[in-house]
Amino acid sequence: MNKIISDIRETARQLLADGKVDVVIGYEKGSLPLKATPCFVHSAQEVDSLIWDETCENNLAAFVAKTPGKKAIVAKGCDSRALVVLLQENQLVRDDLYIIGVSCHGVIDQRKIGAEVGEILEASITDGKISVKGMEGDKEYLFAEVKDATCQTCRYPNPVIEDLHLGELIQVSQDVAAFADVAAMENKSESERQEYFKEQMSKCIRCYACRNACPLCYCQECFVDCNSPRWLTGGVDRAENLLFQAGRVLHLAGRCVDCGACSRACLQGVDIRALNRKMTKDVYEMYNHESGISEEGKPALNVYSANDPEEQFLVKE
Amino acid sequence: MKISKEKFGQALDALIAEYQIIAPVSDANGIAFKGVKSFSEVKQDYLNSKLPPKAFFFPQHEKLMSYKKEGKDVTVKSELKVENTVLFGIRPCDAKGMQLLDMVFKNDQYTDPYYYERREKAVIIGVACQKIAPTCFCSSFGISPAGSEGSDLFLIDLGDSYDVEVITEKGKALAARFEALSELTADEQALVEKVKRAETTSKVDVSTTTSKLDKMFNSPYWDSLQEKCIGCNVCSFSCPTCHCFDISEEVRKNEGTRVRTWDGCMAPLFTLHGSGHNPRDHKKARWRQRMMHKFNYFVHNNGSMSCVGCGRCIKSCPVNMDIRQVIDGANKAELVVE
Amino acid sequence: MGEIQVETENKKYDPKIAAFLCNWCSYAGADLAGVGRIQYPPTIRTIRVPCSGRINPLYILKAMANGADGVLVSGCHPGDCHYISGNYVARRKFALIKSLLTYVGLEEDRVNFSWVSAAEGGRFAEVVKGVSERVGALGPNKGVFKVDDGGATDE
Repeated sequence: MNKIISDIRETARQLLADGKVDVVIGYEKGSLPLKATPCFVHSAQEVDSLIWDETCENNLAAFVAKTPGKKAIVAKGCDSRALVVLLQENQLVRDDLYIIGVSCHGVIDQRKIGAEVGEILEASITDGKISVKGMEGDKEYLFAEVKDATCQTCRYPNPVIEDLHLGELIQVSQDVAAFADVAAMENKSESERQEYFKEQMSKCIRCYACRNACPLCYCQECFVDCNSPRWLTGGVDRAENLLFQAGRVLHLAGRCVDCGACSRACLQGVDIRALNRKMTKDVYEMYNHESGISEEGKPALNVYSANDPEEQFLVKE
Repeated sequence: MKISKEKFGQALDALIAEYQIIAPVSDANGIAFKGVKSFSEVKQDYLNSKLPPKAFFFPQHEKLMSYKKEGKDVTVKSELKVENTVLFGIRPCDAKGMQLLDMVFKNDQYTDPYYYERREKAVIIGVACQKIAPTCFCSSFGISPAGSEGSDLFLIDLGDSYDVEVITEKGKALAARFEALSELTADEQALVEKVKRAETTSKVDVSTTTSKLDKMFNSPYWDSLQEKCIGCNVCSFSCPTCHCFDISEEVRKNEGTRVRTWDGCMAPLFTLHGSGHNPRDHKKARWRQRMMHKFNYFVHNNGSMSCVGCGRCIKSCPVNMDIRQVIDGANKAELVVE
Repeated sequence: MGEIQVETENKKYDPKIAAFLCNWCSYAGADLAGVGRIQYPPTIRTIRVPCSGRINPLYILKAMANGADGVLVSGCHPGDCHYISGNYVARRKFALIKSLLTYVGLEEDRVNFSWVSAAEGGRFAEVVKGVSERVGALGPNKGVFKVDDGGATDE
């Protein structure tokens, strides 16, 4: 067993035994190969189920506000950024929260593996190599080959806020954020973009897994559930779906921490991240702001400057 | 009896004029049941579709009727559109799922015309599973991966031909359109026997679940169970037997439509009253409802569990809630003395 | 009301535009245009809002969903907001809305933003004229967002 896992367990044991927290929110092994599942540990005897590896794909910050009592959370970089935004927005009480920080190399993109080997029967991860036994064949991958798209552009693998750090920090070049994916889409023609998003939106079944997996979608009443005014009809078609996704993305503009939880949660493989990334890029370029990287400061849309750019959206008259 | 795939394809193609043919096709997003124009579009080697085929009888979003008020006159128009349909390639779990839906939409108290008229006009051609996914657990519910229950015609893939079994009158009428049915060879007969004997490797024991749940309404099990659930509806929407819906009015000015949309018990809005009171105001109550409905209430009302073990909810869950573990947990949960 | 139609390539199309005007500047600007009898196309349906900061992105999306051919949002010039900073906050929001809608393939000219003060009656007419021409040239709402809600179209 690796050192980080034993440290997580030991830390959890201590915190629970000393009564410092009521629950430790972490990951345990899931029921399917290469899947971890969120785990709520309430007593020191149960800590041995806790794990930490490249399958821990959920953003646990989504559970923090909904879990009563004092809690500890195992947080990777993106989870911690979400916690920062939640703290900025007064959704969490810092004193009720103990953050066990772990550095993250990225999580595995299961979809990619599944597309190549079929249903995964067995899998093991050793030294950055993933061997998978699938219904359509066996394959061995280097971790870098199946790293989730979000993680490939991640600039914050280390938690930005934590009470304790376990394991080594990951060095990452902190230069500038890269948005090659967004730029590629921007360079397409209007009709190409329209077609792309029409196709994406026609896949959406409006199960709201994206919204619910998102650590920053915490509205008491989401606009999609609102009865008066009724923003969305009962319809499930691409136009309605786009209204939902665009509404959600605009609500997350300047707040989204680009953890990719929405895209990973989506059964239908809707490219939700393409929309969120566009907003992240705009906020980064126009307002020089990245969400959730320091406890001071506010989300980009809560503040303003007298010199904010406006030429690109005002009418010419 | 058997028919070559070529002949079968021709027979199916010949039905296009009278029927819409729904069959599994492979798209960028995996396997989906869709309308096809020719048998050549049909995906042959597939496990099962990502979403269940229930939507062809019970669409996610459906107009029930439209109405218009002009002066004192009100005109109401039914929006029910029914086509003759052949559903090809339905797996035994989904075919069974349709039988379970039938109990909901047609029973001694009520017949839902929207569901039932489509169902009446549909012929289901089931195809046996010869590959079984690790998440398949239909054998737990007495369904066989080669079970013909719920199908009108049932096929077993023999390579370049199908073994054809006629199950219902509807299936018989359709089979009458096939030519060149021939007898199975001894080898093929052996293969058919083998396919029919197969069971899923994954199984849960549900023999005591219903009676256990009778006593579990106030169990602390539900407290621990619900913690990691994020409350989305993907399990309900990907379930072949979930059938809860919401009816709403889309009205603007003097005209409007009444629509029916899938709903799911995992969403708080599902049970929210107009007063603001919510009888299931916590995930705990919602999970209890989900389990009770599938493994207890449905059994008491209809004599069968409302789960067919297709494993879709297991695969689709963003937080890996595994219904097999949830059933197992309920079986093992300690009872509190009230 | 006389119909002024916008010339498009070979047919005339009279667009319907939802105009969200802030109470203190743009609405007063529109009023001034009226008092001054300045002509502009009758294409807009005005919705008065207390401040451009009140604009919820959903207003714009919903207008498009309900079949508006275009949207115009107008508020006080930056620095002149009745509520000091409402339009500054709105400005960031507007930039992102415009950017996102263009990104998903909505024609650029359908959704428009401007600053018009209470004294700029003439300019208000110019803005409406310009927006009407551009939206008219695009023709009817092509339904990137338009929703079939089974109802009548509002005038």
